[in-house]
Amino acid sequence: MLERRVPRWLAWTIDPEQARRAPFLAHSPLFAGLPRRLLGRLSTRFLEKTYGPGDMIFHEGDPGRALFVIVSGTVEIIRATARGEHVLRKLNAGDAFGEMALIDDAPRSGGARAAEETRLLILYKTDFDALMDSEAHIALVIMRNLSRLLASYARQNAAAVARAESEPL
Amino acid sequence: MKFWIVSIVGIAVLAWLARGLLLPAFLAMMLAYLLSPLVGWTDALAIRRSVAVGAIFSAILLLGLLFGLTIGPRVVAETSTLVERLPATAARVDQALDRAIADLLEAAPVAKNVLPHGEGWISKLLVSHPPEDVAEFFEHMGHIFILVILVPFFAFFLMRDMPSIITGIMNRLPPQHVETSVAVWRELNGVVGRYIRGVVLDGLVVGTLAALGLWALQVPYPLLLGIFAGVANVIPFVGPLLSGTAATLVVLVHAMGLGGVVRVLVLFVVIKVVDDTVIQPLTIGRSVHLHPAILLGSVVVGNHTLGVLGMIIAVPVATIVQETVRLLLQHRRTLARRGLRSSAERMVG
Repeated sequence: MLERRVPRWLAWTIDPEQARRAPFLAHSPLFAGLPRRLLGRLSTRFLEKTYGPGDMIFHEGDPGRALFVIVSGTVEIIRATARGEHVLRKLNAGDAFGEMALIDDAPRSGGARAAEETRLLILYKTDFDALMDSEAHIALVIMRNLSRLLASYARQNAAAVARAESEPL
Repeated sequence: MKFWIVSIVGIAVLAWLARGLLLPAFLAMMLAYLLSPLVGWTDALAIRRSVAVGAIFSAILLLGLLFGLTIGPRVVAETSTLVERLPATAARVDQALDRAIADLLEAAPVAKNVLPHGEGWISKLLVSHPPEDVAEFFEHMGHIFILVILVPFFAFFLMRDMPSIITGIMNRLPPQHVETSVAVWRELNGVVGRYIRGVVLDGLVVGTLAALGLWALQVPYPLLLGIFAGVANVIPFVGPLLSGTAATLVVLVHAMGLGGVVRVLVLFVVIKVVDDTVIQPLTIGRSVHLHPAILLGSVVVGNHTLGVLGMIIAVPVATIVQETVRLLLQHRRTLARRGLRSSAERMVG
């Protein structure tokens, strides 16, 4: 983030991993519109974990406590149905999932599984709340983005229901 | 699972073998918590941890030097005056006490067997405890030296390497348990961090208020008593009582009269009220939700097991236990709800 601003002779003081993290998060729809300074602060709150292929990240019905952002790899969002497991979505690098956990502690509406070796950034609700308490602007931007995402999910669901109703029995 | 059992047993054995290092390690952890907002700020600027932590410690060293050069001589002067005058002062207090007891016994001779007389209690308590020999003195100095060296040393590496330690642990955790187990740790981390930073800030404000108030009331040793009030404030309930008693003793010893005692007591009561109603809500805030009975109980148990250190760490430890139990119960309730829901779905299906 600061690499462009610091003189070359001070480049050794920059943490390359942290410097990459903020611009990476800026590309996520959830954090779009956050100024650089706040993205920098937000990026320090993320933890990181690598999942192996087939590892469950969370199960459907688990209490939601964190948001996940994919750094590399692929994640499948799955749901158990009467006919077996159904893959709802496949997510790739830059995508975020589990964002509802930032709003409430309700159980997960679907499961998440790493389809291949996947590196994730994890933001816990506790850390997110603490950051929102100290930076109202972060809360405003993220809640606005979250509302947009929820509205788009609602429209997608409505379209899916309409499609299902129009299909012959 | 086997890895975790071996790790926990290994850590327990190491902790027992290196139990002498527990106090410096604990103090280093406190220091790391205290400085973590600064490190968070430098992380947000993408500054390398080693550079940031090095700069923070250099700044602290500089501030320490500045403090030592400005306020240090005054504190040393007050301490040496107190040490010089302590034997004579203690003897004076003993004499005054003896006179008071003698007056009391004249009025009520029945109390002769109950009240001590001519024992020199204060002199015994304050003066007759010099280090037994030179070896013991050097041992004490050695312990302090080790603390002064080891605490910043541990804190430096703890702060520098914390992100890699956390990532290492996260990658070792079973994937399906990461979300809940780390959520509990994050919550506790937040509570303990806020508590430690709040307590230190609270102690600073209370110490400053006490020093200024005592200086305004022309009580001797205002700096020493202020520092003592700030440090003692860390111990709930007992701390303010100790600092108030110390200031009252100084007033009594310097024959400032009953008016002086009342003024000092009023000052400490006002500081306590301001602390409870204004300073603590702003510094410690919502980090601790312990019931007063549990708070007091934890301080008593802490004192019984680890002395003064136990009283200091009692509140964070009790908070950690309470929060862990609360979060685990909440998790169990959620899982129970999930079990109920899936069995209901099976019945409907």
